[in-house]
Amino acid sequence: MKILAVDTTASPVSAALLSDGRLLGEFYLNVRTTHSQTLMPVVSALLEASKTDVNDIDVFAVNAGPGSFTGVRIGVASIKGMSMPLDKPCAKVSTLEAMAYGMPYGEGVVCAVMDARCSQVYNALFRLDNGKVERITEDRAVSIEELASELECYEDTVYLVGDGAELCSKSFEERLENIVLVPENIRFQHAYGTAKAAMKMIEENKLCSSDELMPVYLRLPQAERELKARLEKQKEKG
Amino acid sequence: MQKFITGSPEETEQLAERLAATLEGTEVIAMFGGLGAGKTAFTRGLARGLESEDDVSSPTFALVHEYSGKYPVYHFDMYRITSWDDLYTTGFFDYMDNGVMIIEWSENIQDFLPENRIEISIRYISENEREFEIKGAKEI
Repeated sequence: MKILAVDTTASPVSAALLSDGRLLGEFYLNVRTTHSQTLMPVVSALLEASKTDVNDIDVFAVNAGPGSFTGVRIGVASIKGMSMPLDKPCAKVSTLEAMAYGMPYGEGVVCAVMDARCSQVYNALFRLDNGKVERITEDRAVSIEELASELECYEDTVYLVGDGAELCSKSFEERLENIVLVPENIRFQHAYGTAKAAMKMIEENKLCSSDELMPVYLRLPQAERELKARLEKQKEKG
Repeated sequence: MQKFITGSPEETEQLAERLAATLEGTEVIAMFGGLGAGKTAFTRGLARGLESEDDVSSPTFALVHEYSGKYPVYHFDMYRITSWDDLYTTGFFDYMDNGVMIIEWSENIQDFLPENRIEISIRYISENEREFEIKGAKEI
């Protein structure tokens, strides 16, 4: 069973190739170039270097969001394009879940956070137990303030990962004592975590077709409030 | 804060060229000022100051125009952007830190502008004269 996984949800781009759970290769680039220019060369270099024919890939996995608007679209569209002609299934992986799988060390709670700006984060919590990852919450957009109150209920060690981790660790500092800011080499999303999360989805029969693969965007509470205000205004007028 | 008065669109372009000379490549420049204030003329001067030879025009329909120069220049027009969702789907946040962003109609996205920015308020004085109030920039 071979899995090709990619991540383009933030500024780095990465691709990983797993064969029966073993990492055959992973490429990671963090240069200031658009993913549309870097992703395919990275994928083809990875396949070539590992002497793998794209026809031998069984599952195509991608971090389908949350993440940067264009980044997510580039990743999803590329995986769609590769899987469709080969009629192979896709794994639509949550970026936050991929982060938790990329950090399978220690015991406690993994708090994956991506900076959504304006003091809000995309977040999900996972329980980490002996290398096993179990989801506690759905992916959601919350304010850093709300997340801090929620985390007060946990006595376990809370591992912060993601590009919002530093931001959160600063604002949690005074309120929470059990916070660990995970070291940089395993703090951010990368395709290995995506592939690991995909393995779990294969076990649980949660793959989808290339047709069904779509980007996932989370609505910010702030955007919800704006929309509500706009609808109410319209109602008043109507 | 720095204040300038220009007497023609050409002078406005020259002022922008001087601002361009102080930039480091990842600034967010938020312009405020209504129709005919000179936002596009200012952007033209800025792009030229950054050694771009591309044509500069208001991206009212395309939302963003890209010019290549010493640094990439991303020229936004927020006239039709009225919500967070609108802004997010322009890819606005993906452009940050990748070049110089210069924004027309910043009034519409005021709550979402980064704290670290250059603000330019343009006031109409007469047919050809404009007053520029520039905040957050180095000395021009």
